[in-house]
Amino acid sequence: MMINNLDKFLKIIMSPKVFSYTLIWLIILVFFGTIAQKDIGLYASQMKYFSSFYFLFLGFIPLPGGRLVLLLMTVNLFSSMFKRNLWQLKKIGIIIVHLGGLLLLVGGGLTAYFSSEGNMVIAEGETSNYVDDYHNMELAFVNNSLKDSLEYTVVDEALLYEGSRFQIFDEGPEIYIISNIKNVRIENRISPADTIYKGLLEKFVLLPKKPEPENTQNRPALIYKIEGTSNGSDGIYGLFLGQGLNDPFKIKGQIFHSEYRRERTYVPFNIELIDFEKIMHPGTNIAKSFSSDVNLIENDIPRRTLIKMNEPLRHKGYTFFQASFIDDSEIETTVLATVKNYGRLFPYISSIIMSVGLLIHLLVMLPKMVKGKPK
Amino acid sequence: MRLINIKIFVTHFVLLMSTIISPLSAFEIENLPVQSEGRIKPLDTFARNHLLRFYGKREVKEHQLKATDWLLDLILDPEKGRDLKIFNIRNPEVVSSLFLDWTTDHKYSYNEIIDGLKNQLDLINAIDQKDNSDRSAFEKQLIELSQNAIIFEELIYMKNIKLIPPGLLDENAVWQSPYDFIISGVTPAYHQEEILNSLQKYLAARFQKNKSEMNSALTSFEKVVSELPMSSLDVKKLKDETWMNEVELFVKSLAFYILSFLLIGISWMVKPTFFRNISYLSLIIGFLIHGYGILLRMQIMGRPPVSTLYESVIFVSFILLLLAVTLEYFRSDGLGVFIGSVGGSILHFVGFSYAADGDTLGMLVAVLDSNFWLATHVTTITIGYGASLVAGFIGHLYLIQNILDPSNSKKLKSIFNNLFGMTLFALFFTLFGTILGGIWADQSWGRFWGWDPKENGALLIVLWQLLMIHSRLAGIVKPPIFALGMALNNIIVALAWFGVNLLQVGLHSYGFDDGVAKNLYLFILFEILFCFGLYYYPKIQSRLQTS
Repeated sequence: MMINNLDKFLKIIMSPKVFSYTLIWLIILVFFGTIAQKDIGLYASQMKYFSSFYFLFLGFIPLPGGRLVLLLMTVNLFSSMFKRNLWQLKKIGIIIVHLGGLLLLVGGGLTAYFSSEGNMVIAEGETSNYVDDYHNMELAFVNNSLKDSLEYTVVDEALLYEGSRFQIFDEGPEIYIISNIKNVRIENRISPADTIYKGLLEKFVLLPKKPEPENTQNRPALIYKIEGTSNGSDGIYGLFLGQGLNDPFKIKGQIFHSEYRRERTYVPFNIELIDFEKIMHPGTNIAKSFSSDVNLIENDIPRRTLIKMNEPLRHKGYTFFQASFIDDSEIETTVLATVKNYGRLFPYISSIIMSVGLLIHLLVMLPKMVKGKPK
Repeated sequence: MRLINIKIFVTHFVLLMSTIISPLSAFEIENLPVQSEGRIKPLDTFARNHLLRFYGKREVKEHQLKATDWLLDLILDPEKGRDLKIFNIRNPEVVSSLFLDWTTDHKYSYNEIIDGLKNQLDLINAIDQKDNSDRSAFEKQLIELSQNAIIFEELIYMKNIKLIPPGLLDENAVWQSPYDFIISGVTPAYHQEEILNSLQKYLAARFQKNKSEMNSALTSFEKVVSELPMSSLDVKKLKDETWMNEVELFVKSLAFYILSFLLIGISWMVKPTFFRNISYLSLIIGFLIHGYGILLRMQIMGRPPVSTLYESVIFVSFILLLLAVTLEYFRSDGLGVFIGSVGGSILHFVGFSYAADGDTLGMLVAVLDSNFWLATHVTTITIGYGASLVAGFIGHLYLIQNILDPSNSKKLKSIFNNLFGMTLFALFFTLFGTILGGIWADQSWGRFWGWDPKENGALLIVLWQLLMIHSRLAGIVKPPIFALGMALNNIIVALAWFGVNLLQVGLHSYGFDDGVAKNLYLFILFEILFCFGLYYYPKIQSRLQTS
C-alpha cells in the first residue's frame, strides 16, 4: 500500500505535465513580477514574487512564489532522470543537456541561500574591512569613554521593530523602539519641544515619507526611548542613516552615542584605496571607465591591485567589483560591490555541460538529418 | 550547381563594392575630423546630426543642400543662413508663443524665431529649472528650440566645432574649437597651426569660389591629419564614414527588400518560377548590401555589431535575412523570400525611427565597453531574437496555409518541420545568450541573476520556447497550437526587446519614448487578433458548414 502510494506520487512528480504547469506558472510569475517592479521597485518585487515560497494575491489568496516553483521544477527534472525509457544511447545528448539544466537550478538554489552581497565604501587614502548590507540596518552604541579605543555594541535589524524592548547591558537602561521609518523627511520644529526629546529631536522632527521604488534610495530612520539611566539621559532620541552629528548620553558614568547604519559584515583583511580614477569620453558626461587603485592588506603586508569595470578583485571567496563612486567632495570615494557566493561557478559549468550535450545530440542526429534533406 | 552560381555572384558583388569605395578617393572637406559626443567623426556626420537636430532631416532637400555645404555656407554667409527656414517646429503652441503663423511645412528661420524666444526668456529660465520629467510637451519643445537657437549661433562662430586636436595628442583629451583656441591665446603646436592655416585658406578659397585653392588647402589638411600619431584618428575611417553617410546602404538594402516583396507578389499571379527567382536574387542583393553596411560600421567603431538598440534592430534583421535566405535555398517555394522581404522591410523601418534620434555611432558607457562580452552575449542573444522572429513568421505562415489549403498535408508537414527546427535553433541562441548575459553580469556586477526587467524579458522567451517544445514532444499540443504559440512568441520577443524599457527600472533601461510605447501596444494588439483569428477561422468555418 505504502509502496503503491509512493509509486503514484513519483509518477505524478515525474510527469512532463508537472514540468509544463510549473513552466506556465513561472511565465506568469515572471511577467507580472516584472511589471510590478514599476510600482514597488526591483527589490520589493524580487522579495515578493521570486525569492518567496508563496505570496498573498489581493492580500488573502496564497499563490506559489518563485522558490516553490523552481524547487518543484528541480524535483521534476531530477526524478524524470530515472525514467526507464530515457536511458538510450541515442538520447545521451538530451540527457546531458538536462543534467546541465539541473545543475543550473541547483546552483541557483545555492546562491539564493548561501550568498551575501553589499557595498564596501572607501574614500581615497582610507582603509576599510567591512561591507555594508544593501538592505538590512543595525543600531550601534558606541562607548566613547575608553582610552585609545571605541567599544561598539550592535543591535541587529531583527530587534528594531516598533514596540521592541531590550537591554544592551546587564542591569543597564532599557531601550524601547518607538518607530522604525523606512524613508524619512527631516523638518524643523515649529514650537519648542517637550523636555523628553533629546539631541536632534529638540530641534527637528522625523516624519515618514513614501518609500522610493529602489530600496537603496531610501533614508531610513529610528526613534527610540532610553529609560532607567538615572542620570538625566533618559529621553527620546532620533537617528537617521548618514547623520553627521552624534547625540551623547551617559550610561553608568560612561559617555555613549548611537549610530543607525547599514548592517556591517567584516572581512578578514583590509582594503586601502590609493587612488580612484574615472575617465570620460572626451567632452561628454559618458564615463569611459572607472578604476580603483587599491592595496589589499593582509597580515600588514600590502598587495597592490587595480579594480576596474568588468575586472573585479577576487580574494578568499569574496569578489570586489567597481560598482559606483561618490564625487561630491574634494576627496573621491569608491563604491565596491562585494559578493560572497558559493554557487557562482555553477552557471559556468552547467553551460559547458549543456553545450557539450547539444553538440553530442547534433552528432547523433546528423545522419538522420542529412538523409532527410530535400534534393 | 546553384551553390556555385551564388558563389560567383558573391565574388562579383564584393569586387563591385570594393571598386565603389576605392581608397584612392580624394580627401574632401566632409572628411575633416571633428571631436563630438566623445569620438572623432568626419565633419559630414557632425553637420548631418546638427541639421537633423534643427531640421529633422539630414539634408535640406528643398535647396538641394547637403549638410556640410549648409554648415559651411552658414559660416561664410551668416546673414543668408539666418534667413534659411531651417528650424522645424512640430508644436503649434510653440509657434504661436513665438507670434508666428502655423504654416503647412512648419519650418522657420533663425531670424523669425529669435525675437519670440527673447521675449520669453523668463519662461524659458523657469522651464530650465524643472526636471525634464516634469515638463509638458510644450515646455520640452520650447526649451529644445531655445537650446537649438544657441547651438545654431555657436556654429556660425565655429565655437562648438572642435577641430583643433590637443597639443600633446592625448587620446582622452578634449579638442578645441577654432574660436576657443584663438581666444585662449596658447602658442599653437605645429599640427595645430597647420590645421588652423589650412582651415583659413580653405574657407577663404571657398568664399572666392576658387576650386584650385580649395584643393590645395585640402591637400595640406590631409597631410597634417594623416601624420598625427593618434589611434582614434584614421583618415581611411573618416572617408569610409563619409561614404557610408552618403550612400545610405540600409536605404538601398530596404529598396531591394521591397522590390523582392513586389516580385514575389507578382510570382503568385504570373510566371511563378521566373519571378520567384528574380525576387530571390533581389533579396540576396539587399542582404549583401545590408551585411556590408554592418561590416563597415564595425570597422569604423572597432567593436562588435551590436551595442545600441539601433544596432540591435539592424543586426536582428540581418540574422532574419540570413535565415530566410537559407530557408529559401532549401525550400525554393517563396516562403523564405516572403519572410525575408517582409521581416527585413519592417525591421528597417523600425531601425530608421531609432536613427532619427541622432548619431547612430554613439559612445558606450563603461560597463558596456567590453568587446568580449558585446561579441559573445549581445551577439548571441540578438541572433536568438532574429531566429525567434523567423520562427514566429513561419508560425503565421503555417496558420495561413492551414486556412488556404488544409488538404495539402505534405506542405503543412514540411512547413511544420521548418518551424520546429527553427524553434530549436532559436532556443539554443536565446538560452545561451541569456546564460552568457548572466555570466557577464556575474563578472561585472557580482551576481548571475538579479530579476532585472531585461533579464526577465530574455527569460520569458526561453521559458515560452521551452514550454512549446516540451508540450509538443510530450504530445500535449498539436501542430496548429504549436504554430499559434510560436506566432505569439513574436509578442514576447517584442516585449523583451523594447518593452522592458517601458518600466524604466533596473540596469538596462535606455532609449525609450512614448511613440515606441504606442507602436508596441498596437503591435501586440494586432498580433493577438491576427494570430487567434488565423487559428480559429478554419474551426469556425467547419462548424458553420456542419450546421
